[in-house]
Amino acid sequence: MGTQAPGVRIGGLTVVYKTPAGELPAVRDISLTLEPGTITGIVGESGSGKSTLALSLLNAVQPPGRIAAGSVEIDGLGDVVGLAGEELRKARGRHIGYVFQAAQNSLNPLKTVGKQLLDLGRSHGVEDLRGLVREAQELLGRMGLDGARVLDSHQHELSGGMRQRVGIMLALVLNAHLVVLDEPTTALDMITQANILKIVREVHAERGLTTLVITHDIGVVAEVADRLAVMYGGRLVEQGPTREVLGAPQHPYTKGLIKAIPRLVGDIDEARALPGRPPTLATVPKQGCVFRERCALRMDVCDDVDPAPQVDQGERGPRTVACHAVTVKEHA
Amino acid sequence: MTLITRRLAGHLARGFVMILVVATISFFIVNNIPGDPMAARYEKLIEQGMAPEAAQQAVKVLYGFQPDGTLWQQYSDYISGLLRLDLGVSVTRPGTPVLDVLTDAAKWTIVPVLVGTLLSFLVGIIFGVYAAIKRTGKLGDALSISGSLLHGIPQYVLAMLLVVIFATLIPILPADGSVDILYEPGFNGPYIGSLVEHAVLPVLTYALSAYGGWVLAMKSSVVTVLGDDFILAAELRGVKRSIVFRYIARNAILPLFTMLALSLGLLLGGAVFIEKIFNYPGLGWLLISSVTDRDYALMGGAFLLITVGTILANIVADLFYTVIDPRVRSGEEAS
Repeated sequence: MGTQAPGVRIGGLTVVYKTPAGELPAVRDISLTLEPGTITGIVGESGSGKSTLALSLLNAVQPPGRIAAGSVEIDGLGDVVGLAGEELRKARGRHIGYVFQAAQNSLNPLKTVGKQLLDLGRSHGVEDLRGLVREAQELLGRMGLDGARVLDSHQHELSGGMRQRVGIMLALVLNAHLVVLDEPTTALDMITQANILKIVREVHAERGLTTLVITHDIGVVAEVADRLAVMYGGRLVEQGPTREVLGAPQHPYTKGLIKAIPRLVGDIDEARALPGRPPTLATVPKQGCVFRERCALRMDVCDDVDPAPQVDQGERGPRTVACHAVTVKEHA
Repeated sequence: MTLITRRLAGHLARGFVMILVVATISFFIVNNIPGDPMAARYEKLIEQGMAPEAAQQAVKVLYGFQPDGTLWQQYSDYISGLLRLDLGVSVTRPGTPVLDVLTDAAKWTIVPVLVGTLLSFLVGIIFGVYAAIKRTGKLGDALSISGSLLHGIPQYVLAMLLVVIFATLIPILPADGSVDILYEPGFNGPYIGSLVEHAVLPVLTYALSAYGGWVLAMKSSVVTVLGDDFILAAELRGVKRSIVFRYIARNAILPLFTMLALSLGLLLGGAVFIEKIFNYPGLGWLLISSVTDRDYALMGGAFLLITVGTILANIVADLFYTVIDPRVRSGEEAS
């Protein structure tokens, strides 16, 4: 793949989970392009399918789930949905770095970070292991940690913020240029969170990466992402340049999300929670708009017809909304 | 290393106190069991026509202690004897120290139980991993079922089943005893062959009855680790399958070492049924015969040996963890 930031084109991706009620889609017919060198944020509530989407980028959807349709084209790798076995294993880590949620234990508790780094190097046929260790120390130092000390530590000797930086180091140390961060700052305190986001931004720019950040926190996306995609019930309801989407949200769900954020100044009552609950795998409507149950703009057509994404080529990049109400307004 | 020495010292001190407590409790229990073997022996000698004074003297010489001291005196004699590793003299084997009887029987227990336990541990661990990984397949199911089944059969039923099969239906193995008396004891082929031949069924019984527990424990441990995040994380980093497998195995086997250490600790007294059925002269057999013969000194010694075994096993397990689990190591440093 070289040292170029790769572009990623997700086309018509559908991921289903096998349940007693049959195979239910967690991600349905999603198309999304990650331009080379950009940071894309995906926001959504728990169960919106965003983590499933992130795992699809590595063709790592865990059973009982599987990718039922669609493709994930990554420059230099081809369609990862078609990869399997050793080919897939070698792509992971080497071409695509994956950073786990900080609160999760993404390190083997019985081995030091350094030993796990060597395991990673050996797995990918790195011959210069000394060089790998040096690279890791440099990365850790770059993130404000004492590299030698951290490599000599076990997971339980590191704080949440330190673990997260180790996770980022392990995702980058093999020189992957596509990095997926799944809830990178969840369960971290505010200061550590700000630190990690700063690191993500800097490392992204320095190394020339293509980055995907998955989060439920709009603040995180506003902080780092060039483009923003909003997921609801396994569908992509709106996407576009971050500023445009946050500044002038079009989809009623996006509007509701932004309205729900409490402000630092002003009355706390101005923050309005969205009425109702997000759908689960079993309660997602099989046809029509997935958001209609909670939507103030609901129309008859929403019950039967799935709103098609309407693309609008803006100055700062394409803007997409999938909502009947928005379409009607534009054409009226 | 100082950490381990410090831990060891603490454990030994605590273990010593525990042994004293257990010795005290078993002393008073044994003391309160109705029936006095000394008095019985004394009366027997009188019946045989001995004068009362001579009979009392004879009993005292035979057993080396005063049956008519106060309770406190008897207790302090017992404890100070213990500190000198003197467990008293066997009642049924006059003149033989209990310690000698126990060490003689111990070898018939330790070797077969050790072999049986380690064998079942090894096989159980391997099958347990397989049962966990292939838990949706037929062979995985079969392994789990074999574990539940053998775990559910009581030891003595299993022992008798093996006797019926290998000694009665297909008479290829001896049903009881420890060795044929035909052979000259020592390091020679026929004698050792006879030893092994006699040990096969008891060892097989130990191994089969313990196997089920290992399979089930290892399976559930592996299933837990398989669901841990760091396994998925390693896979997503493209770590080789063989290395990921080592991550799983090492993390999953950790809790089983406690069980192994404890079952080795119980080894000294746990083979009662098996040794009884195979008439194998180990510690379990000795314990039963000491109970039926009212050999209270021997009984107390056997109880004490089981206590010491269990306490030592706990100490070994804990020290072992200090070595293999980094979390235990630093947990101590922090405190």
